[in-house]
Amino acid sequence: MAGKYYNLDNMLKPKSVAIIGASQSPEKVGHIIMQNYLNVGYDGDLYPVNVSAEGLILGKKSYKSVLDIKKPLDLAVIAIPAKFVPQSLEECGKAKVKSVIIVSSGFSEVGDTGLQEQIVSIAKKYSLPVLGPNCLGVMDLRSRVDTMFLPTFKIDKPSIGGVSFASQSGAVGSAVLDLISHENFGLSKFISYGNAAVVDEVDILNYLGHDPDTKVIIFYIEGVRRGKEFVEVAKEVTKLKPVIMIKGGITPAGSSAAHSHTASLAGSYAAYEAVFEQYGFIQAKSLDDMLYFAKIFEAQPLSTKKRIAIITNGGGVGVLAADSLYLNGLQMAELSDDAKKELRKVMPPIVNMSMPMDMAGDADDKRFGAAMEVLSKDPNVDALMVISLFQTPGADSRVAAMIIKYGSEGKKPIVVVSPGGNYAEVHNNMMESSGVPVYPSPEDAAKALAALVKYSEYRERMGSLNAEDKNIKKSK
Amino acid sequence: MGTLMDYMDAHALLGKYGIKALDAAYVGSAKEAVGFAKGRTIVMKLISDKALHKSKSGLVKLSLSGDAKIEGAYSELVKLGEKLKPYKILVQEQVSNGTEIIIGGNTDPQFGKLILLGLGGIYVEVFKDVSVRLCPITEYDANAMIESLKSKQIMLADERNGKIVKNLLLKVSEFLVKNQKITELDLNPIILHDGTYDAVDLRLIGE
Repeated sequence: MAGKYYNLDNMLKPKSVAIIGASQSPEKVGHIIMQNYLNVGYDGDLYPVNVSAEGLILGKKSYKSVLDIKKPLDLAVIAIPAKFVPQSLEECGKAKVKSVIIVSSGFSEVGDTGLQEQIVSIAKKYSLPVLGPNCLGVMDLRSRVDTMFLPTFKIDKPSIGGVSFASQSGAVGSAVLDLISHENFGLSKFISYGNAAVVDEVDILNYLGHDPDTKVIIFYIEGVRRGKEFVEVAKEVTKLKPVIMIKGGITPAGSSAAHSHTASLAGSYAAYEAVFEQYGFIQAKSLDDMLYFAKIFEAQPLSTKKRIAIITNGGGVGVLAADSLYLNGLQMAELSDDAKKELRKVMPPIVNMSMPMDMAGDADDKRFGAAMEVLSKDPNVDALMVISLFQTPGADSRVAAMIIKYGSEGKKPIVVVSPGGNYAEVHNNMMESSGVPVYPSPEDAAKALAALVKYSEYRERMGSLNAEDKNIKKSK
Repeated sequence: MGTLMDYMDAHALLGKYGIKALDAAYVGSAKEAVGFAKGRTIVMKLISDKALHKSKSGLVKLSLSGDAKIEGAYSELVKLGEKLKPYKILVQEQVSNGTEIIIGGNTDPQFGKLILLGLGGIYVEVFKDVSVRLCPITEYDANAMIESLKSKQIMLADERNGKIVKNLLLKVSEFLVKNQKITELDLNPIILHDGTYDAVDLRLIGE
């Protein structure tokens, strides 16, 4: 199966890179890309290429053509005006460059299909994996590769982790990258693939599906070019790791915008929904959901069972949480008698043993800890929703630390609901950085849990519920 | 656009896959229609490429029982047919009341054959309560299609219907996969009644 699709290793883990269009002028895209390579500490060989260059570019010897480099090249990044791209690509082919990213725009997305077809035929001639055109390229935090032409100071870079993100749109891509770092989960790879002239969704899904560093895939697509192959690859990949899909262009208005955007034949949304539903994708309907789903899948174990225990230090939010469980097809756990007995010993008399369990506004780390200790062992509880309102007198950093202790055990899924301002935010960041997903509302937390359960059920049906363990080990 | 397959050809083709449409025949005279009825209550339809909405344009005559009614309906349709040539007149057995459902098939340019299930009748356009899957579907998919409908309680009011619908979906899926040149299929309506079903109208469109 893997042989049918492009291997993107040379693109994401290159030992040598040529930057075509590198320039001394700071406003040029080629300059920013080159500067980024230097900024992130890329330790392979870097060769600036510029037809009119003499001497050094950013301290490196420059070349007029890739053909002049005469060293093995894993990757060439092309960032020059569209009309010069075919010739440059031809030279990459002749120089036996192993992969190419075309950042330049001005192809089928502006109606110039002829120019794009030239690229496709050159790529075919040399069996060359070509990403783009009209894309941001790739970022791989582990191999310190970053072809993006976004100045580093304008975008927060996420930490290294298990989520890989592929995006047809460069703009959605860069905005989401910025948000990912805000949501505190780690990134493995980012691939912006633009017009998908050569390397397309199917190649990328296949590559990330088999990439040991990728534990969760998030995918922004506007259209798929090879529907049947896409389904074939999806069947393989979704039984191994969660793939969260967000599809742009689901309405007629969005669809026509997407068409002119990346010029792909979108197909009908009903078909996409059917494919997502049937082949185990997790469908997100907003960017928020996409990120909220990603963080539960990155850090928490799967569960096919859906009896959720809710503990809270605020009654009202607990009631909303109970509603949101029901609305998302989940159930409220009914505690076992043993669990109730244990809890009775440690909770003050005012605390009622029914769900949602309101531990009162003065609940401190000891009360949170005691509750999580009991619930994490209760066989009647499949997952926990912990509501910690940091506005209350009892909640402080010790509560956050206690939640981290139980939330990173990895036995039952735990989600935290913590709405609030700066003080809450500090603690939310602490928890998220330790792998405990935090949500601003019970509704968001319940949606994420429901997505986790639905996907777990799919895995169970495919007979691969426990395959995940292998994946986790591989990704560390 | 594709071409509409002749009704009786479609009837026969679907029959090979165990999708049984209501007993039907073309008739060339009122006498033939009476002969088809054999005392049963029948429906008579005028079929022409120029008539898209049969029921809206009075081209469907319902509840015809007895020779006089059948002969009357036949001559009315012949008169209406003057402007719609070429046309054919189809007679069908009339079925009892039941729950109307729709099963459809379509071809997506990217993914291929899709199958659709929805509650039929006059509300289908309003509520758009349908479920769609890519063919071929599994038994799980067929059940999930039924489960995901908001109107499933109406569809399953008679508990025997679940199995009937599931089996029909599987047969239609198989039909669509094996007949790649059929780009569209419409079984609308299918009437579920008394532990069985009747496909009352059908439409196949080929490449």
